[in-house]
Order: sequence, then structure tokens, then C-alpha cells
Amino acid sequence: MNSERIEFDAVVVGAGLAGAAAAMVMARGGLNVALVERGQKPGGKNYFGGAIYTHAIAELVPDFMDRRPPFERPVTEAGFWFLARDGLTRMTVQGGELNADPADAYITLRANFDAWWAQQAQEAGALLIPKTTVVDFLRKQTGEVVGVVTDRPQGEIHAPVVIICEGVNNLLAQKLGLIDHDLEPATLALAFKQVISLPMETINARFGLQDEHHGLAASVLGDVSLGLPGMGFVYTNKGSISIGLGMMLDQLAEYRLRPYDILQRYLDHPAIAPLVQGGQLLEYGGHLIPEGGYHAMPKLYTDGAMIAGDAAAMVNALHWEGTNMAIIAGKLAAETALEAHSRGDFTARVMSRYEDRLGEGFILKDLKQYRGFSRFLETHPQFMDVYPNFLNDSLGQFFSAYGKPKKELFNGMLGALTNRRSLIRAAGDIVSMARSVMGW
Amino acid sequence: MFHALVAIKQVPDTTNIRIDPDTGNLVREGVPAIMNPYDAHALAAAVEWKRKLNGRVTVISMGPPSFTTTLREAIELGADRAILLSDRKFAGADTLATSYVLAEVIRAVHSDDPVDLIFFGKQAIDGDTAQVGPGVAVRLDFPIVTYAVNVRAIDLNEATIVVERKTERWTEVVETPLPALVTCEKEIAAIPFAPLPDLIKSLRYDPEIWTLAGPVEFAADEIGVRGSPTIVYQMGTPPLPEAGEKINTREAGVSATLDLVFKKAEDAGVLDAMLGGAQ
Repeated sequence: MNSERIEFDAVVVGAGLAGAAAAMVMARGGLNVALVERGQKPGGKNYFGGAIYTHAIAELVPDFMDRRPPFERPVTEAGFWFLARDGLTRMTVQGGELNADPADAYITLRANFDAWWAQQAQEAGALLIPKTTVVDFLRKQTGEVVGVVTDRPQGEIHAPVVIICEGVNNLLAQKLGLIDHDLEPATLALAFKQVISLPMETINARFGLQDEHHGLAASVLGDVSLGLPGMGFVYTNKGSISIGLGMMLDQLAEYRLRPYDILQRYLDHPAIAPLVQGGQLLEYGGHLIPEGGYHAMPKLYTDGAMIAGDAAAMVNALHWEGTNMAIIAGKLAAETALEAHSRGDFTARVMSRYEDRLGEGFILKDLKQYRGFSRFLETHPQFMDVYPNFLNDSLGQFFSAYGKPKKELFNGMLGALTNRRSLIRAAGDIVSMARSVMGW
Repeated sequence: MFHALVAIKQVPDTTNIRIDPDTGNLVREGVPAIMNPYDAHALAAAVEWKRKLNGRVTVISMGPPSFTTTLREAIELGADRAILLSDRKFAGADTLATSYVLAEVIRAVHSDDPVDLIFFGKQAIDGDTAQVGPGVAVRLDFPIVTYAVNVRAIDLNEATIVVERKTERWTEVVETPLPALVTCEKEIAAIPFAPLPDLIKSLRYDPEIWTLAGPVEFAADEIGVRGSPTIVYQMGTPPLPEAGEKINTREAGVSATLDLVFKKAEDAGVLDAMLGGAQ
């Protein structure tokens, strides 16, 4: 029987965006890296809307466009759709910044993208170990992490540093005491979507896209989430549409809502149904998103270990950011691991440099600034109901000829708002929205 | 030291396969490739005996370079060495040409490092012929036990093996001299969850690729399309069987129902066959 001791310079738990980034950077730094993935393939367990931002990719793989990433379309049009009960107001931007080449963001499917991303780590020399779940840590008597235990027979891997990128279900972070409680439904969104196949030409025509090198990413507010906090999304893939929404898990539970019912209602909306009509359902899936923000983050390091990505709640819900944070955080953790190796010191003293690095960039700054946003929509349900309907009604009136004096029209439009929400309250909503976004 | 050889095939996962209704061909696009399940169970049995007898396992396969994925999986499952026969000229082989190539390869492996026992799956789930294993046994002049469900004992000193094989009526227990060839049912062994060292070994393992250039010499007219007399006349989807006639025994009564069943069997000329199976 085999009884050899398995040793690496570093172990990364999870071959998602953060994990593969960490493995890539450490392997390039000359470390012997094991990248352990529970799925059959990297990305097999991952899901998002979604579009991925290129600034983070370029930071690790500057020539990424030459390496044929499995992108669907660049995001050349982005913005908000306000869905009223019987109408839709679109506020999207195209051109300008969005015409950059390569684009700032590309629409993609995670099963494809993550496999490609992990491939970059493998080419850098990391060993991808699939179909293997890390269940615990190897620790010295004094507590320092010195490796991991997997679910396989003879499944111990020894390494002086472990980077935990296990995703939203942070069982290992709990096991290590980086966070002292289990997942809380109030800090989790459940996002679910359908991927609906349509001919490329049909997608271009329905969404007003020039060709398959143009794509739309829209955040949908309003009559999507039954007046509860939540946001919908629409992304145009090459030959399919990704359409879905995210809602807070505690509220889905409290109101006993079934995700597929809500999604079906959204797809049946008179302004949405024609967009997906005749399409064939390719995929239906969902995933948890850690939207607790800054306050929900675990401790980011301990002796011999660091944590990055969804496992560390690195998500900015309003801006659909998370994948970029995961990649950059993975990179910063890897740089800290390299520093630890060169110093021969894997204690928390050196690992704390990871948090310093995160503090220097956008990740911790943004998460701090948006710390109040995670519950904003919950305390301001008018953003899901009053305003989208007001916007739709008033714009509808503005562009109609009623054969009445315009003064009456404007009074009517104002009334459409004040019937629903007093002007003082509306002003207050704008201020508190700004506060939560600006972090005041 | 015990040396087992396992022949494996990579097949499309037929649990979610589709047939193009127009051409009658398999739609291979997007269908995952897997190790033929019967072969995987045969390999698991070989590895069990390797561990019991402190031996080693060689796997061989014939197919395009993409088959290396499956050969790596064989290493993960406990094989020590993997050889892939891969050459464009081998393509288009039927069971006759395939058994020729595999037999020649086994002969070559055997002459360097004598093989005690050869494992095949009972058949591949794509072709379902169950011919290659027996074909190889005949070419090598090895005794063969088909439809094996259990290797009860291997005695290397006496060079014998005791195998249980499944038939429609009963289980036969067969003793035969080694070297021998068995074709296996799934019951032969459970596929294990591989130990981590074996998985890591497989990730770093590159199967040996043998081509027409060597190390084994092949007769040009016995390989590939030239060596394959089989002609596929037509492929298609069989019509779905019609739903059978249903009789409610509570309404019709049990004995009346039985009479009716016997009458129908007699009319169809299958009554004797039907009763022949009953004791």
C-alpha cells in the first residue's frame, strides 16, 4: 500500500476564481502548489449572473485575450431596467468607456470560465487535484495550520501555508475559528437564473445589439422580487440569455417563496416574455451569495492560513462585484504566502500582511464604504415598488399627448409620486441611498 | 509477483446519448466520455487482487489520443502502468481487428513481464458486442471465463484461479489454469474511492503511446478498416415497443386471466418456451 507523505509548499482549497488566482501566483513564484477542488472540474460547482471584470484578470494574465478565454460577449451596454407592473423603463449606457477593447467586462458562463482560469494556474505549474474535498486541517499542537485533510483514503496533504477559497459555504473557516457562527440567512442572497437558448440573430434583434461582439448587462429593479429586496439581471450570451434574480435567503424562507415561482413570474412579465419567447431552457440553477458585506467578514488569517473570495464575504452587491475581488484577494494572499516562504515564517505575524495588502487596494475600502448597503433595500422597499412604477407612469405621461394643458400633466406626474410617497420621504430616500453607497 | 492486465475502452456516456433521427448516427457532441463501466469494475477487481497479492496492474486501450483521460483515470483507480495504442491506421477497427491488435500488444507485454490474469469488461456499452474479450482469448489460446461475478481465489503457486460466473439459471464455479482471461460483470468488484496518493500519481502520469511505428509490429491487412470485414448496413432507432394489453384480474378473475394468457401464448406458438422455464 502507498504510505508516502504528501507534501507541498502550499495548498489552496477550491479552484474557483480566488483559488486558481492564488495558485497561479504562488506557482509562478516557484512554489509547489496543490489546488484542491471538490468538483469534477473547476467551475463545476460555481454559478453567477454574469459578467466578469477584466481589470482583475489582466492583473494576473496580461495577455489574457491571446489565451482564448471562453467569453460569450463583451458588455457594450450596461445599466438599469426599472420594471413597473405593466411596463419597463430602461436606463442603460452604451459606447464611450464600454467600447474599450478589451472590454471592461465580459459576459461568460462560470463552468467554462473557471476551467480556463484554473488552466492558467496549471500552466503556471500548480497541480490541480479534482474530485477531492478538504474536510479539515492538519494542525500543530500549538494550533498552527500545517496542511489539510481530504475526504480520500490516505488523504492528508502537508504544507506550511493553506489558502482557503472554499466559497460561500465556509465550513472550513468555521472549523478554523475564523468565524464563530454558521451561515446566517439574513446575510445571504439566493440568486437563481435560467439560461435560455435563442439564435444569435434573434438575440441581436430583440436586444438591439449590432452583432455577437456586442452584449447587454442589465440590473433589473422593480416588479421582479414581489416588492421584497432583490434585484434581477439580464445578460446576453452568444446564443443564449442568462436571466434571473437574487433575493435575501431569510425573506424567501419567511414568506415561503419558491425561487422557480418567482423566476417564472418574472419571465412571464409582459415586458420580459417577448425577449425570451420561443427560447429553449438550457439550464436552471442557483447559488448563494454572501451579501453581508464588511460586517459579515471572517477574520482573514491565522497561523499558517488565509481566506479569500466568497468564503470571506468579498462581495459588493450593488455593483455585482465579487469575482474581481476574489481574484485580487487570491493574488494578495498568494503574495503573502510567497513572503512567508522567503522569510521562513508562517505565523499570523506574516499572514497579517495579507490584510494590509487588502487594505491598500479597493477591496476593503469598498467593502467598508458599502457596509450599510446590505440591508438598504430591506429598509427601503419603495425602491422595488414605488419608484419603478412612478418612473414608468410619469415618463409614459410625459411622452403622451393628452390634449390638456401641460401644467395639469406635470401636476399629475407629481401626484403619481406623492400619492405613493411624500416628497420629504422621497428626498430622504435619496439621502439614505447616498449614505449607504458613500459609506457616510 | 502477480501481474494483472486490464483492457479498457473509453465510451460515450450512453445514459444521456441521443441518436440523430435523420442520419441514425450517434450525436457525440457534448456527450461526456467515460471509462466503459464494465471495464471500470474489471479494473477494480484487478486492483483488489493486486493489493491482496502485492502485485501490479497494467492497463491497455486502443483509441485516439483523447483516451489518455481514461487511462489516467485507470491509474487513479490503482493501475501501475497504462499503454494506449493510438494510430490513425488503427481507426475503423471492428471486433476482429481490435482483438488482433490487443492480442499482439498483450503478447508483447506478456513476453517482457508475464501476465497471470487478463480482465475485460463483459462488453462495451456503446457497441454491446461482447466479442473482443473472447476474441483475444482465442488468439492468445488462453482459457476464458465470461460473465464473471467473483474471482474467488487466485493460487499463484499452483497457477490456478477459481471464478464464479453468472448464467441465466445459476452461478457456475469454474477452476482454470493461469494465465487466463475473464470478462466481468459489474458485481465483480465495487469501484473504490481512490486514495489521494493514487489520484496525485494519475495527475502526473503520462500513458505510454504505442503506434504502428512500434514497439509491436502489426500485419497491415489485419488492422483498422482493412482488417475489419464487418459492414454496418444501417443504423437507426428501434421503434418503441407498443404498450401491452392490460387485464384487470379483479374484474376478469384470476383463472380466466390465466386461461387467456395460456391461450394467447399457444396462439403465438410460445407456450412451450414459456412453460419450459417453469419448474
